[in-house]
Amino acid sequence: MPRATKSVVHGMGGGPIQGVGIGLRTPHYGVIQHDKPPVPWFEVLIDNYLGKGGSPLTHLEQVCRDYPVTFHGVGMSLGSTDPLNMDYLKRLKQLVERFEPACVSDHLCWISVGGHYAHDLLPLPYVKQVVDHVAERIQRVQDFIGRRILVENVSSYLTYRPSVMEEWEFLCRVVGAADCDILLDINNIYVSARNHGFDPMDYLRAVPVARVREFHLAGYEDQGEYLLDTHGSVVHAPVWALYRKALAHFGPVPTLIEWDNNIPAFGVLQAEAAKAGAIMDEVCCRAA
Amino acid sequence: MLRKLQQHFFDGLFGKQNDSPILELINDAGARSSAEQLAVYRDSVLGGLTKALAGIYPVCRRLVGERFFDAMAGRFIVQSPSCSPDLNDYGGELAEFIAGFPPAASLPYLPDVARLEWAWHRAFNSADRLGIDLQALAEIGEARREHILFRLAISATLMASSYPIHRIWEVNQDGYQGDGSVDLDEGGVKLIVWRHALTMHIDPIEEPEWRLLTELAQGRPFGRICERFSRYHPANDIGAVLAGAIQRGWIASFDLPPA
Repeated sequence: MPRATKSVVHGMGGGPIQGVGIGLRTPHYGVIQHDKPPVPWFEVLIDNYLGKGGSPLTHLEQVCRDYPVTFHGVGMSLGSTDPLNMDYLKRLKQLVERFEPACVSDHLCWISVGGHYAHDLLPLPYVKQVVDHVAERIQRVQDFIGRRILVENVSSYLTYRPSVMEEWEFLCRVVGAADCDILLDINNIYVSARNHGFDPMDYLRAVPVARVREFHLAGYEDQGEYLLDTHGSVVHAPVWALYRKALAHFGPVPTLIEWDNNIPAFGVLQAEAAKAGAIMDEVCCRAA
Repeated sequence: MLRKLQQHFFDGLFGKQNDSPILELINDAGARSSAEQLAVYRDSVLGGLTKALAGIYPVCRRLVGERFFDAMAGRFIVQSPSCSPDLNDYGGELAEFIAGFPPAASLPYLPDVARLEWAWHRAFNSADRLGIDLQALAEIGEARREHILFRLAISATLMASSYPIHRIWEVNQDGYQGDGSVDLDEGGVKLIVWRHALTMHIDPIEEPEWRLLTELAQGRPFGRICERFSRYHPANDIGAVLAGAIQRGWIASFDLPPA
């Protein structure tokens, strides 16, 4: 698997990412800066760096000097009926221009209405009118920040009566109309498949291969009657199994290990990344 | 259609829980009612915002206990929704909420502790301002000095409390070693909360310093500040107070309007 070293990464700016990256989280700043661990890239939760200075931006500068990064946000509220928040997009654009991430991504969902924000990924009804609405907003975001973006499928815990298509059809129509790329969260597909009773392979087979630029992996929590996407544990066996199928179908797509609750020592994330990397090598080399 | 659905969804999250119109729009899911499905989102949204508030207000949470704080946060969140996609902007009105929250009335200092923690949070994420240009300051002729507009560090918040909130804050920090008791009769305090490079500061300040800093924070020119200062503190030398404030880093820049 490709391993970036400091000397290679310097000056790369928005260079391409490969292999298995790790989500950058505050408790790991120290070990990352001190040990410069061999991680091919980090994904930055860019909404945590919207402030104008201080410690968060200083840490971001240091990580961006040493590693390729991707930016991942929840603030675009692409599925909202509120106007696009231009203050947010301006700040995001400044950060994108300054740090030149390899990818900029957000979610296929909505987080706000009436100017109020849930800071959570809320589901959309899958109807034609919403396809057009979201696609148009994605286009405006891409035009404004001057970059293609990736949109990510979210985990969901309910479906709407007005929906007239499956989630994957909705996703495919939106990215086709908007001409944007896809961040495919393998865990989210599994969680939603279990919660809504569909076959995750139907999902994978429907997604246009050429648009998939990144995978996400994380841990869910089994609540008995449903699965909850907590990002609070190791990746579970059924998700590893689905990841294998996704790699066989889409090829060695750059993959991210995400962990947001009960964040463990950095070594635990490295072990998860190594596991994903070994599966990627095995599946993709065997296929080649 | 989408607009209405989203408004109903928010009403279902934050408002009436059982007869919300959103429930009519949610598919049945086996044994799980639409209200139960919506509750997954309510728990997630309220949990996320409560966690954010707990991160900003760790001392308040410690003072009242986790269960009390989280229950109070739940009430606050329903009453004060977030108005920014930046989660760091959320929660500034908690002090005001606590002041009007009867179950917290037995801790009269709690709103001021919350104000202190919010000032800390803002300073942590604020912009930086480069150090003051002393050379340029020294070169301003005597006749022009009264027009100087001194500026506080961008990160700075000035706050006064009738309680020793800096001591309450200090003894409730993780790893605090000394005597954990605070005598409320110790009296009030005036503070400047600010950040220098990556170092956070909560500095108690004296009356003359408070006078100078609050006057300049209101945008008054130096000449006017001198007049007012001499009225309140005739025995103090404003030049010395100013030099001290610059040297400490509290004053971080100045402007001189064109003549």
